Amino acid sequence: MSLSDTMTRWRYRAVPDHLVGEILTKRWVDNAIPMLILLAVLAVFGSLIPDFFGSASVTNLARQWGEFGLIVIALMIVMVAGGIDLSVGSTFALGNIVALALISVAEWSVPAVVATTVMCGAAVGLVNGLLVGYLRLRAFLTTLVTLIIVRAIVDMLLLKYSVSIAAAFPDSDLWYFFGEGFLLGAPFSVVVIVTIAVIIHLVLSRSRAGWHILAVGGSRRSAHNVGIPVRRVICSTYVVSGILASLAGVLFASRLGGAGADTGIGLEIAALTAAVLGGNSLGGGRGSAAKAVIGSITVMIIVNSLVRLGVTSGANSLLLGIVLLAAVAIDVRWLKNRHKVLSKVYVSPTYADLPPAPPTSGASPYALNDRLRPVELIGLGRIDGPEDVILDDDDNIYVGDRTGDIVRFFAPDYKRQEVFAHTGGRPLGMAFAKDGSLLVCIGGMGLYRVTMDRRIERLTDETNRSWLSIIDDSRLRLADDLDIALDGRVFFSEATIRYEMHDWPVDCLESRGNGRIVCFDPNTGSTRTVLKNLVFPNGICMTHDGQSFLFAETWGCRISRYWFDGPKKGTVEPVISDLPGYPDNINRASDGTYWVALVGMRTPSVDLAMKMPGFRKRMARRIAPDEWLYPNINTGCVIRFDENGRIIETLWDFGGENHPMITSMREHKGHLYIGGIFNNRIGKLKLDGMDESWTGQTSYWGRT
Amino acid sequence: MIAALARTLDNLLGRGEAAVTVPALDGAMRPNRRLDEAGTKLPLENVDCIAVSAGLVHASAGDHIHRLSPAKQWEATYGCGAPITAMAAVEGGLAAALATGEIVIFGGAFDGRRYDPGLACITAMVAGGGRLYVASGSATNGADDWQRDLMERNASGSVRHIDLESGEGSTLADGLAWPAGLALAGDRLIASEAWRHRLLGLPVDGGPAEVLAADLPAYPGRISATAGGYWLAGFAPRSQLVEFVLREPAYRRRMLAEVPQPFWVAPTLRSGRSFYEPLQGGGVKHLGLLKPWAPTMSAGLCVRFDEGLRPQSSLHSRADGATHGITSVIEHDGHVFAASRGDGVVVALHAMGEAA
Repeated sequence: MSLSDTMTRWRYRAVPDHLVGEILTKRWVDNAIPMLILLAVLAVFGSLIPDFFGSASVTNLARQWGEFGLIVIALMIVMVAGGIDLSVGSTFALGNIVALALISVAEWSVPAVVATTVMCGAAVGLVNGLLVGYLRLRAFLTTLVTLIIVRAIVDMLLLKYSVSIAAAFPDSDLWYFFGEGFLLGAPFSVVVIVTIAVIIHLVLSRSRAGWHILAVGGSRRSAHNVGIPVRRVICSTYVVSGILASLAGVLFASRLGGAGADTGIGLEIAALTAAVLGGNSLGGGRGSAAKAVIGSITVMIIVNSLVRLGVTSGANSLLLGIVLLAAVAIDVRWLKNRHKVLSKVYVSPTYADLPPAPPTSGASPYALNDRLRPVELIGLGRIDGPEDVILDDDDNIYVGDRTGDIVRFFAPDYKRQEVFAHTGGRPLGMAFAKDGSLLVCIGGMGLYRVTMDRRIERLTDETNRSWLSIIDDSRLRLADDLDIALDGRVFFSEATIRYEMHDWPVDCLESRGNGRIVCFDPNTGSTRTVLKNLVFPNGICMTHDGQSFLFAETWGCRISRYWFDGPKKGTVEPVISDLPGYPDNINRASDGTYWVALVGMRTPSVDLAMKMPGFRKRMARRIAPDEWLYPNINTGCVIRFDENGRIIETLWDFGGENHPMITSMREHKGHLYIGGIFNNRIGKLKLDGMDESWTGQTSYWGRT
Repeated sequence: MIAALARTLDNLLGRGEAAVTVPALDGAMRPNRRLDEAGTKLPLENVDCIAVSAGLVHASAGDHIHRLSPAKQWEATYGCGAPITAMAAVEGGLAAALATGEIVIFGGAFDGRRYDPGLACITAMVAGGGRLYVASGSATNGADDWQRDLMERNASGSVRHIDLESGEGSTLADGLAWPAGLALAGDRLIASEAWRHRLLGLPVDGGPAEVLAADLPAYPGRISATAGGYWLAGFAPRSQLVEFVLREPAYRRRMLAEVPQPFWVAPTLRSGRSFYEPLQGGGVKHLGLLKPWAPTMSAGLCVRFDEGLRPQSSLHSRADGATHGITSVIEHDGHVFAASRGDGVVVALHAMGEAA
């Protein structure tokens, strides 16, 4: 290996490129930019303002943030549902004056004050909600009007009560605790907002009500069409918004104890800036409590720090406006370009050096021949893509096809066929269980059982999620081939966890260990991943010792053996590590050896490309998939080998007249049955010198 | 500096020069199967160049010039002792360029004359006005090494003229990217510049070249003049993958060094003979069939141009066809003769309708 190859290999080992794309598929990545902005703001003002991180400064800031954050969350909820609530500032002021009037002038008890104030807020929200939700007025204008009206009410209340409020001095420790107390070492208002943020987060992400809100914001019409009560949902978001805004007013009242004409003025702009800066979409459907929290902290720090730096109040608003404008611009660009970036970076090929391919001429055990020429064709033109072929005790043939059917051809002449079962996915590897039912790996669905009376039962469609995997790898995307151990455990391969079935060429382009082998235990009903990071694991076949199986890694061009029981439990040993092509299904032969299908042959140009990941990555970006350099899957062969990896014979159809690509073969009563995933026929080849009574079922289960 | 920067940026983003685009086969170039459906097929192994002399069709193949007998059989007529790389009709005889660099005249007024213009890669010739015009594909590679020349992105070809009487000559144009075809149009020479996919007009007495047709969908090869226009043989199709590989110097360098030539990712005269050759996504056989639209490294294409070098019609053999690698096309006696070097056959079809 040359120096540059070694360097390339280490480069691709050290840097997990594929994680970038996987992170971009996550919804929480929307928070990345707001988080960066927050960190930048912290860094700038932290260095500009002396003692910025001092405990007094932080406590003071946190207490104010508790109130401001509540208002941002209030606005966020309305925005997520596709609306906007400009009246939050006025409602906040209303909450402030009502709470102060009740506690100081009316001298109510604290719980009664809080409850009544919140009711007031809810009432304002309800007015908004009725107008916007049920009467379907424009949210912007409606809440603008509410803003003015509520502000007018506040001014009237101020006129009436401000003097008496200033004179009174409420006699309640609990009241002052709201504004000045600490709970668990944090200011009370911070505890309130953290609690509410967690609740809102859980509601939005985990509950039916939250999903309804997101759905309405995402597409009002679709939400209506699926039966969501759109009007009620919208109305309720305004009510929640009013409640939260007035609650913030209560906290503010307790902290400052004074009513002023400027309370809450311009607050809606600051809150809107915070919500958008956090990444909550103005168009609705995208938002979370975390985004509101990040945005509110950022804006809080900016506003406060500017005041502390002595910036005049006009410049302060100007700066806030600019931040809002920038946030809106970033929001739009991000939404528009995220999937483009994702499609560019998701495919991330890695360095894959294969051992030199053995020759296919001369004295090589892989030497070319025409031994597959005399095949007898079954179902020519009447079957689309038989990936795997299997025969039952009565010699009937079962194959899966592209349309999701399992088709049965009737013995003895196989002229007659019927749809045995319709699965809805892509049936791939098959095996007969001890009880005679047919176990099938269905691409896109998982592991299924089809009983002889045609009942289709799901065995498993998920496995344990890996802790360190970024994408959720618990669902089975591409269950490929299976085999059954003597105790009934089913071992099956999942070719790749990064792509769906029809994207298999992309996985080849990557040639990373994206696949795994999973075990389903019918005795406990559990599914566990047993082997990870395999390069497109494909065929699986139990060996005769009952403790291990052979498995093929297609893009790795190798066959290995894994022990699941016995003294060597858990170990993997190579059996053949330098195949001249890409192995697919493995099945037992009658004399204790094994058949493996090579779906295609290695080509020097692809082998070279495998050592040049950057080349493959650019190819994936620049040219159409139909133009990509593929492994040559237009020519395949069947190989027989033993447990030591010795090649016994190779069967070719050179020229590819009947079987250009071969994905499976099954020996049954002295004949070999051949299938191919892109082919339209099943081949039947008479084998010389093989046991004419041998069948797979007798070999596995000892039945006749 | 700015150009280099722009190129780097283009390369990063896949724009400009790095955008891998190939013109679509449309309009006059719309695909058909007419080459495969030709009525007359005249197998001749390794056939390369066709010329008409003394009213008979001659074809070069390997070391020999063959004559098409009235019974539609090939008869070996002249042996040259070295592979023939180009052939042209000259004053009642035939000029044959050999891989050794020599040009030999058989028959006609200059029978037996030999010229040595000092070019080892003669790809095309045309005679007129007492002169022989000679195109040399490359200064470093032989005529059979055209794939290497393309992959090396060379532009070292030239066009010369030789005075038939005196043997004197001079260079008309150089720095060309594999000139592969020549035709005379009055005082102008039409030359195909294969690696730049275009046709050039060169004044026969020297002077700046003019681009007559650009961005052809195939690598243009030999040209022959015919009544009211020209026939162009496109000896290999352009493909996105090859255009992409041409923009990948590291891969190309290693491919030239490590991969055997028949298995390169490069256009060829005949592909699909070995499973070690590169396969592209669309070339995967489905239901036992290779799709005709499959991307391919070889195909058959002849284009009929009018006198203004506007394409009029075309003859195709697509990915699944059997008339690939057309190296020469000529119209004679109401028939179009196309030499498919990739499949070792000369096909002849009625020229009716081609002049439209």
